[in-house]
Amino acid sequence: MDDITIGFIGTGVLITLVLLGVRVVYATATVGMLGVVAMIGWDAGATNIGMIPHAKGSLYALSVLPMFILIGFLAFHAGMTQSLFDAARKWLGWVPGGLAVATVFATAGFAAVSGASTATAAVFSRVAIPEMLKYGYDPRLAAGVVAAGGTLASLIPPSAILVIYAIIVEESVGRLLIAGFVPGVVSALVYAAIIILRAKWNPELGRPITGFTWGDRMRSVPGTLPIVFVIVIIFSSMYSGWATPTEAGAVGSFVVFIIALINGMRWKTLREALLETAKLTVMVFSLIWGVLIFVRFLGFAGLPEMFANYVVGLPYPPIVIMICILLFYVVLGMFMDAIGMLLLTLPVVYPAVIGLGYDPIWFGIIVVKMCEVCLITPPIGLNCYVVAGVRPDIPLSDVFRGIGPFFICDILTLGLFLAFPEIITWLPDQMMNR
Amino acid sequence: MEVAPNGDQVPFTAALKVADRWLSRVEDILDLVAAFFIVFLMMFAVTQVISRKLFNYPLWGYVDIVEIVMVAFAFLGISYCQRLGGHIRMELLVRRLRGRALWIFEILGTAVALGIILVLLWYGFTHFLRAFQLGDSTIDREIILWPAKLIIPIAFSVLSARLLIQFLAYTRLAFYPDAAPVAIPVIEKFEEMAQHEIEGAIGEAAINKNDQGAPR
Repeated sequence: MDDITIGFIGTGVLITLVLLGVRVVYATATVGMLGVVAMIGWDAGATNIGMIPHAKGSLYALSVLPMFILIGFLAFHAGMTQSLFDAARKWLGWVPGGLAVATVFATAGFAAVSGASTATAAVFSRVAIPEMLKYGYDPRLAAGVVAAGGTLASLIPPSAILVIYAIIVEESVGRLLIAGFVPGVVSALVYAAIIILRAKWNPELGRPITGFTWGDRMRSVPGTLPIVFVIVIIFSSMYSGWATPTEAGAVGSFVVFIIALINGMRWKTLREALLETAKLTVMVFSLIWGVLIFVRFLGFAGLPEMFANYVVGLPYPPIVIMICILLFYVVLGMFMDAIGMLLLTLPVVYPAVIGLGYDPIWFGIIVVKMCEVCLITPPIGLNCYVVAGVRPDIPLSDVFRGIGPFFICDILTLGLFLAFPEIITWLPDQMMNR
Repeated sequence: MEVAPNGDQVPFTAALKVADRWLSRVEDILDLVAAFFIVFLMMFAVTQVISRKLFNYPLWGYVDIVEIVMVAFAFLGISYCQRLGGHIRMELLVRRLRGRALWIFEILGTAVALGIILVLLWYGFTHFLRAFQLGDSTIDREIILWPAKLIIPIAFSVLSARLLIQFLAYTRLAFYPDAAPVAIPVIEKFEEMAQHEIEGAIGEAAINKNDQGAPR
């Protein structure tokens, strides 16, 4: 049996195991191990594979992950959400649908200290929805904007999923994180634009909130400074390279940690947050070494190379193939969590995409944005479940309906990124440490 | 197959419960140790930044130390995560299954997991043994590497024990599908998953505090 055949059989077995519900780390490691053993023999193969967990588990670039995860778990306890929303409300409340627009920018700001979409949605369901309902905003709009705003967390740094992408495709973590910034802001602006347009058309959706003086506005600023501080640290360190992502993440989480302590975080809460951080960290690390065992096997089999050559040789324009790949992710996203989906598909899809001449950083942002769209669309749409979970008075069906316009926004934004890749690549191309 | 509603008369129930409880204690400690090392990394990296930027004095062997510490939080919590069903999988099929069919698929999944982890445990151990015998060390500060490499076989040993318990627990259920499940993670509904995410983000303490938002 030649190596390519073994590669195909292995891939088939992996897909079967994953569909049967075997946890991804075990399925990938098993198939990877057996495949390599089939090609180079038991002793050489198993020894080779047996070193991967330690080698990948001690990769300095990955040490940033627990820092970003920790920031996310501590961010709410630092109490910055309330002040962030308060400031956004005072500065932006006067536009049509003002509170919803304020929510978009407050979630974008919170995204700068949190890399988790569901967590952001949960936090703002508690902070922003009551306020919007109090002012007679349409509950569907209120729920939709929070669920959609949550997804900004995965693009705006610190974002764990972008780090994982960078590791799997061996790109610079710093460049990817920086690259997420502009698309995150663009997504937020598109959300805000659609809210304003809809509220202008139908003022019943959400009225402007007025009556704040410039003094009120200025006084709302200091409460947001810790977040600004974290943004400046993470952004400037990546951009100019004065600290590694791990160091920047550590300083960021340290600041948030101290503020949370000042804010009266109890030991019990801290312990919970730490245990959850450790659990999520080990989950991500396991997934990474598991998938990299499979990647080693694919490499031996020469499968990604073959697939890339095949895709590049197809008689269709690259943009058509790209749209097909994105549609494939939409379907897959209906059944799988974003991280698992990325890790399983990238080893094969990525070389093909690069072969077609697309930029690795650009594709990373596109694919992560894609995963985020899956977080707000049925059947899973976990963000919507989270909003409905915090607000039992808003039924899940209403949350999904409220998401509709934002889903259209996301499709528009993706189209924009496809048409003008420079929106994504411009900022990282300006960086000094490339 | 007469089965009491609480399943206590099903063979192995008590033994599984005891084994689950003891192993859970070990896992809790290991996860807490992992969490400790995450906090350590945070402090250590902050110290490095301050020392390098303010005093122009980078810590010697910083990257070496991080790469050793990392192994602790990359692996020690692995069994804790398995107990709570935290490792990602595609639940498309298992969500639709009930009773014996479900348990048979779970047995298959756990058997695959146990098989690969035992192999990786053995080869991870030989990897450690080589480092131990050769006195392998890091490049920069020449810190001995074997303790970090020993963490992996330790974590995988605990994980193997966990997988074995789950394998037996699923087998028990395959024979007695009406018995109450013990020592296995339940598949959460999407609503429950969402509730979990909310607790993770907001925490129990904050739910009782009204200053973070209006009361429900």
